[in-house]
Amino acid sequence: MSGDAIPTIGRGRMRWIPRTPFTLAFSFLVVGVVVLLAFAAPFVAPRDPQAQNLVVGLTTPNSEFWFGTDAVGRDVFSRTIFGARGALIGPVLIALGAFVIGNVLGLLAGYKGGLLDAAIMRWVDLMFALPGLLVAIVLVGVLGSSYALAVIVLLVLTSPFDTRIIRGATLEQRSLPYVEAARTLGVPAPRIMFRHIFPNILPITLPNAFLNFAFSLVALSALSFLGLGVGPGSAEWGRMLAESRLLLFDNPMAALAPGGMIVLTAASMNLVGDWLYERLADRGRAR
Amino acid sequence: MRVLEVHGVTIESRIGGHRRTIVREFDLSLDAGETVGIVGESGSGKSMTARAVIGLLPPGVSARGSVTYDGRELIGLPERELGGVRGSQIGLILQDPFTMLNPLLRCGRHITEVLERFEGGRVSRRARRAEATRRLAEVGIADAIDRYPFELSGGMRQRVAIAAALAGDPKILIADEPSTALDATTQKELLALLKSLQEARSMGLVLITHDLRVAFAVCDRVCVLYAGSLLEVGAGAALEAEPLHPYTLGLLLSEPPGDRRLAELASIPGAVPSPDDVAQMCPFTPRCRWAAPVCGAGRPPLALVSPGRSTACVRIHEIRESMRETRVVVEQPAPIRPARPASRLIEVEQVEKVFEGAVGRRGGAAVVALAGVSLEVGAHESVGLVGESGSGKTTLGRCLVGLETPSAGRITIDGIQAADYAALSSGDRRRLRRVVQIIFQDPYSSLNPVRSVGTTLREAITLYEPRSRRVGEEVEALLAKVGLPGSYAARKPVALSGGERQRVAIARALAVKPRLIICDEAVSALDVSVQAQILNLLKTLRADLGIGYLFITHDLPVVRQVVDRIYVLHRGAVVESGPVDAVIDAPQHPYTVKLVESMPRSSPDWLRDA
Repeated sequence: MSGDAIPTIGRGRMRWIPRTPFTLAFSFLVVGVVVLLAFAAPFVAPRDPQAQNLVVGLTTPNSEFWFGTDAVGRDVFSRTIFGARGALIGPVLIALGAFVIGNVLGLLAGYKGGLLDAAIMRWVDLMFALPGLLVAIVLVGVLGSSYALAVIVLLVLTSPFDTRIIRGATLEQRSLPYVEAARTLGVPAPRIMFRHIFPNILPITLPNAFLNFAFSLVALSALSFLGLGVGPGSAEWGRMLAESRLLLFDNPMAALAPGGMIVLTAASMNLVGDWLYERLADRGRAR
Repeated sequence: MRVLEVHGVTIESRIGGHRRTIVREFDLSLDAGETVGIVGESGSGKSMTARAVIGLLPPGVSARGSVTYDGRELIGLPERELGGVRGSQIGLILQDPFTMLNPLLRCGRHITEVLERFEGGRVSRRARRAEATRRLAEVGIADAIDRYPFELSGGMRQRVAIAAALAGDPKILIADEPSTALDATTQKELLALLKSLQEARSMGLVLITHDLRVAFAVCDRVCVLYAGSLLEVGAGAALEAEPLHPYTLGLLLSEPPGDRRLAELASIPGAVPSPDDVAQMCPFTPRCRWAAPVCGAGRPPLALVSPGRSTACVRIHEIRESMRETRVVVEQPAPIRPARPASRLIEVEQVEKVFEGAVGRRGGAAVVALAGVSLEVGAHESVGLVGESGSGKTTLGRCLVGLETPSAGRITIDGIQAADYAALSSGDRRRLRRVVQIIFQDPYSSLNPVRSVGTTLREAITLYEPRSRRVGEEVEALLAKVGLPGSYAARKPVALSGGERQRVAIARALAVKPRLIICDEAVSALDVSVQAQILNLLKTLRADLGIGYLFITHDLPVVRQVVDRIYVLHRGAVVESGPVDAVIDAPQHPYTVKLVESMPRSSPDWLRDA
């Protein structure tokens, strides 16, 4: 399977951004800063993100409030910094969860074959048939909006993609002589799957996790934007964008800052994943 | 009349700032109607040389020097003008018949496409089609005009490729390993066809091959290329009678002879170096028995020894006698002393294997791989299983280790019914694993690329001796057995050459102390000099450990060197069996006769009777 195996349904590698050393370095910087902010938000942010300052009210960016304030006088800069947490935790959980589920199911389906394979793949087909974000909207809408629920729903929707990719990669490895040699030696099946095949398909699965991160960041933000993720007033980028879009003419930064961060973070993760893929694929191919 | 003159061509690649020499100062001249062979192992730069001549180098690779065709300099010619030369003046055929033809075009289209380019006035469709038919008939497949490449066998595709290459009536044909991917019998037919076409059209032919015998049989003159340098040039017959370069001698001697068994093949130690590592010396010095300080002092030029013969060996006059003696000693036949098998280890009775078409899909024709094969292998015995592709030999080997399950029949290994591995108790299965192991053909995918050699071996050892305390020592002992230093345990497969990987694969099989190793074309992907090393290693292991082999191969000369008895497999059935000498020297079944006759022999009359 070549690099083009990563499916582009609902997401894709951002081919429209040229991957130059500069954009790549910038992407690493963005990812690094977001991670740092998520951990160090209370120390970095100048103010409490929830503190309302009705005296100040709505202001444009100034020396005191770098990004200005929103309708109830909350500091947009601090809120944007705290927003990094929500932007990181959910997507990381989804990417990690999909990685684990996808690897276990994909390796089992690809290596064992037979009925197990058929069962797993029919489930995957079923999930493929569902319009992902729509289902998420309906489910979260019916069950009540909560960040945790949104994460779970997105995880369930994402993992079939991974399962399918990993099954394909496993099938390819399974017929290679090194796997057959291990079978002939009598190496137990779980060991062959997780110790022999798994490291060899990492060049496909690991970058895919990065792409999943970018995808789920956008999806989670979309849900929040629609009011289906975190509760109102939370310092979360999608939510902030939704609540500030009416303020575009009064304080454009209130909407631009969170919106820009979503785009920057997702695009950066995409590029990093892309770079990682090529690095790993080259390493595996080197003879 | 001289048609092609290659002078001082140096080919370099430049990838990511790394400049690497591929070929250094290559000279070649070709007269009309002459056949010249370029012989070399992998990494010698022979294919790149061919590509440089017609300006088809891959991106990042460039050539300097001079290539004159008919008085016209080709190097530096703009692509548009080169296009006119290619096809109409110089034709090219490549090794892989499976990727060389466009799968979406019918065979006739491959020919008419070329015809259209070179025809002068208006030609009617019908006339062009008639011409294409005639061209295909010339290569012996007149009825293929409306067929797609996938409907044809490898040999037939190669014929279509030849017809397409000749459609522009070139004066020179360059054939890059045209028969390497084909079965022995097909190879012989194809070479005979090439030779007869070349003679009929009195065309110049440059044949690139790794097989000295093929070059001798087809070519008037042979150039020996090694690590990007020409080491020897001479007429085929003279070269074979007395090679004048130690490398040529080494190549000749490491090629297993088809007519006898040698006590030990003369292998060349080590592997082909990169041209840049040996730039300032005779490139063969590091592997040469006769190397002296003078060999390391500067790169020796080709020097004329006698009319039409030149060599790059500076010491040739001093060592000529010694080389002659070596050859006499090495070519001494060794008697085969078949070990009387004390007991039967493997018994295969009427085994059948049918591969069904894709499940649930109609029209997926079932393929019969094995149609009732019976054979036996004794303890400590070495047995050959010979056949061409499609004979079912690999399928049988895979059935023996449980990678395939036979559709019918019985397999008994060491008293255990082993036809269906899945149905065995885990104890029996574990026992079987320690009786039979397997080595595969492709050394590059045989080892897990992410694991070090040591990890691979340690896993195999601890599978059956989980509490062994001396695993580290055992790993070293295994590596020593296959002739590798203990430090290789830390290496990843990427850092090993093909031959070294195959040694590790053998060590891995040995780790569980099996009594028989199935070698599934285990040496056929290796260069001759390395192949000889591995064959010698297998012989030594047999002598030291009493290990038996089931040697699955298409290569009769190879099998003659290592086995006592052979079975000849044809279309899933054994057509002949017996002691290896008897079967090869006096074949009975018509198929075996054909197989024996297709073994490459150096004399030109090898191709006459095809």
